[in-house]
Amino acid sequence: MGAKIFGHYQQIDQCFDELVQADGQIRTPAAAIARFIDRHGSAELIQRQEQLNQTISAMGVCFTLYSDGNNIDRCWPLDVMPRTIPSSEWQQTSAGLKQRLAALNLFIDDLYHDQRILKEGIVPADLVLDSRNYLAPCKGISPRYGVWANICGTDLVRDGSGKFLVLEDNLRVPSGVSYMLENRTVMKRVFPELFADSFIYPVDDYPHQLWRMLASLSPRPGDVPCIVLLTPGVYNSAYFEHSFLAQQMGIELAENTDLLVQDDIVYLKTLHGLQRVDVIYRRVDDVFIDPQAFRPDSVLGIPGLIKAWAKGNVSIANAPGSGVADDKVIYAYVPQIINYYLGEQPLIDNVPTYLCLDPKQREYVLANLDQLVVKPANESGGYGILIGPRSTKEEQQQMAAAIQANPRNFIAQPTLALSTAPTLCDGVLEPRHLDLRPFILQGRDLYCTTGGLSRVALKKGSLVVNSSQGGGSKDTWIINDEV
Amino acid sequence: MLLKSLDHIFWLGRYLERLDDTARLINATSHLLIDSHKDSQFSWSLLLDVLGQNGAELLSGLPASDLTVEQQVMGFLITDADSEVSIRAACTALKQNARTVRQLIPRDMWEELNSLDLFLQEHCQQLQGRQHRYRLMTEVSRRCQMVVGVLDGTMLRSDAFDLFNIGRHLERADMTTRIMDVMVLQQLQPTDIKRPRFRWTSILNALGGVESYHYYLAHQHTEVDAVDYLLTYADFPRSIAYCLHRIVASAKGLPHGAAILQRIWQLQDLLKTQSLSELTTAQLHQLIDEIQAGIIELHQVISTPKLEVPTDLSQQMSA
Repeated sequence: MGAKIFGHYQQIDQCFDELVQADGQIRTPAAAIARFIDRHGSAELIQRQEQLNQTISAMGVCFTLYSDGNNIDRCWPLDVMPRTIPSSEWQQTSAGLKQRLAALNLFIDDLYHDQRILKEGIVPADLVLDSRNYLAPCKGISPRYGVWANICGTDLVRDGSGKFLVLEDNLRVPSGVSYMLENRTVMKRVFPELFADSFIYPVDDYPHQLWRMLASLSPRPGDVPCIVLLTPGVYNSAYFEHSFLAQQMGIELAENTDLLVQDDIVYLKTLHGLQRVDVIYRRVDDVFIDPQAFRPDSVLGIPGLIKAWAKGNVSIANAPGSGVADDKVIYAYVPQIINYYLGEQPLIDNVPTYLCLDPKQREYVLANLDQLVVKPANESGGYGILIGPRSTKEEQQQMAAAIQANPRNFIAQPTLALSTAPTLCDGVLEPRHLDLRPFILQGRDLYCTTGGLSRVALKKGSLVVNSSQGGGSKDTWIINDEV
Repeated sequence: MLLKSLDHIFWLGRYLERLDDTARLINATSHLLIDSHKDSQFSWSLLLDVLGQNGAELLSGLPASDLTVEQQVMGFLITDADSEVSIRAACTALKQNARTVRQLIPRDMWEELNSLDLFLQEHCQQLQGRQHRYRLMTEVSRRCQMVVGVLDGTMLRSDAFDLFNIGRHLERADMTTRIMDVMVLQQLQPTDIKRPRFRWTSILNALGGVESYHYYLAHQHTEVDAVDYLLTYADFPRSIAYCLHRIVASAKGLPHGAAILQRIWQLQDLLKTQSLSELTTAQLHQLIDEIQAGIIELHQVISTPKLEVPTDLSQQMSA
């Protein structure tokens, strides 16, 4: 029966499948899962999915959707079928991710200091200096270790040949890591025998690694650092993650009204009075964190925070201004950036990218809108994207007009044959497209999660994996293949 | 712990206890009433009175319906999400407070709270017969106890732990006085003669204390009754005396512990200085009123700590 469920599995042409080879054989890391299905049958798999859903609901793993002005908690969608990656491949990938973040941090630090890379014309100066993500008040500031983006969520996809490519770097307030951790907790409860049966690398040291990294940023080394997670509040769509991480790290979860600045020192309002804060892990967009420095209309900010930070009295992760490298136009230059600062070739390639601000490339994009994926430079969550082959003529015309009005704001990429993995859909395993978001930390040291959050597009043929738009997730198993 | 979290964790304890107490009260009163004491002066609306509502007024204001009084009262107490005293409302409030202070509570407790909430969402939608209701209320109570048990076994002994326990015991003391007020005192004739002996053990069911009441009676040298028991018997975990002891134990480490203790001593004095058996029913009424007022004041003292902060910062502290 199990063989049948896998046997009837129809791969999508030209797409790399994570669990099944082109010839229909199960990939080695997925052998234990295949054996399980073989032994217990598809009915058991369906039953485990039921169990899994109940577990998620009992654990209260949810995300919040805004809909019609209301906030609704939805249960986090997790597919019962894991995604497997051999550890030897992951080692290469994680080295590439660390390389990338190290280079991006050198780049950001350069932009706020000497701007050598602009002077040498490697990256066009106006591209950076006119970006709304380049925050002039941050100029001349030196965060600890010269590192600005301490937490990075990098989206990886595979092309048709199975090669990992970077789709985008999320350097502002990347989210999703709590779901990576909870997915694993759930899977261990639902599939204890599979964990006994294979060597799956654990993921649960992330909260400790995050705490260590944050502690390494303290401006008062030697003391026990006071670290707080700054959240926009209980109504934020990522509040689950904020409270989860605070709980796991044993740090306070603060809103702006719990903090105040006096004489350029940040304090936390605790039950026992004011306590000096050393490190703020902010989950609020940088332009909102201090109405005195950035948006005066911000109700989420802490007046005086930026001054305290500039004086080195408090660390903020990610540092304000680090979003300058989180721009889909800058993204196109990351290979040159890596080469410029590290003198190395990128270990992971970019997805080929056309910049609409370049007249020649723009011409190509406009002529091939029905073939390309067009993205605005500064949106996240999958919003404002045109997927050429799935769009109407009218949508293409609207996009063409938008590009011509503001070419700087758009990039285009070929429509990728994203990899797939068997996913339980209405009781049958079907291929669904997915991506992978590992999380990379940089403070005194560099760290990369073992795997990451795999997001899967649950709709047949869809390439959109965002949970706000009907995406689901899978547990990601890095399986030891080097025994 | 954040200053802001004080109220949330304190209310978390209060709502959890309220949920448990309400479920017990519903079951015990149901037993009392379906025992069909024909001459009983109680009616279902009494339950609403205990929970601080005006039962008679509330029920007479309802549009005509086919539902019995019992069903209508149970609607208010169990299923009606808009009713501030319902099981569902208490659970929603419980969940909201837990969500706000999730970083302070252990994972296992969070899961217990979640499954309690899911259970109620699934089973407290529609009114069912008495048998179903009995099982439901027993289960609610049981699940509340699970939350407490998990917390006791896993939570750090911290300010948050203390405040949670203070919340629980303050709520419990409050409920005990209200049960006494409505179910005991209001049934007595307000005469000036010495109050009659009160042995209505059925009511002790609502507090889960029948057996220990018998134990208490058997071990006292003087003649005592349920009133003495509920107010002063510190070994009974639902007595006022016990609740106050527990709050004292939990308040010691708090920055405003001294202010809390002072209030509690005042309450304890109320219980100690009077010879309860000598009181007239009017005096007993007055005593209960004073205890209730003391509980309200105690709540305020607990939720408004005065902190020592440099004067230039104190204004911002309260901002």
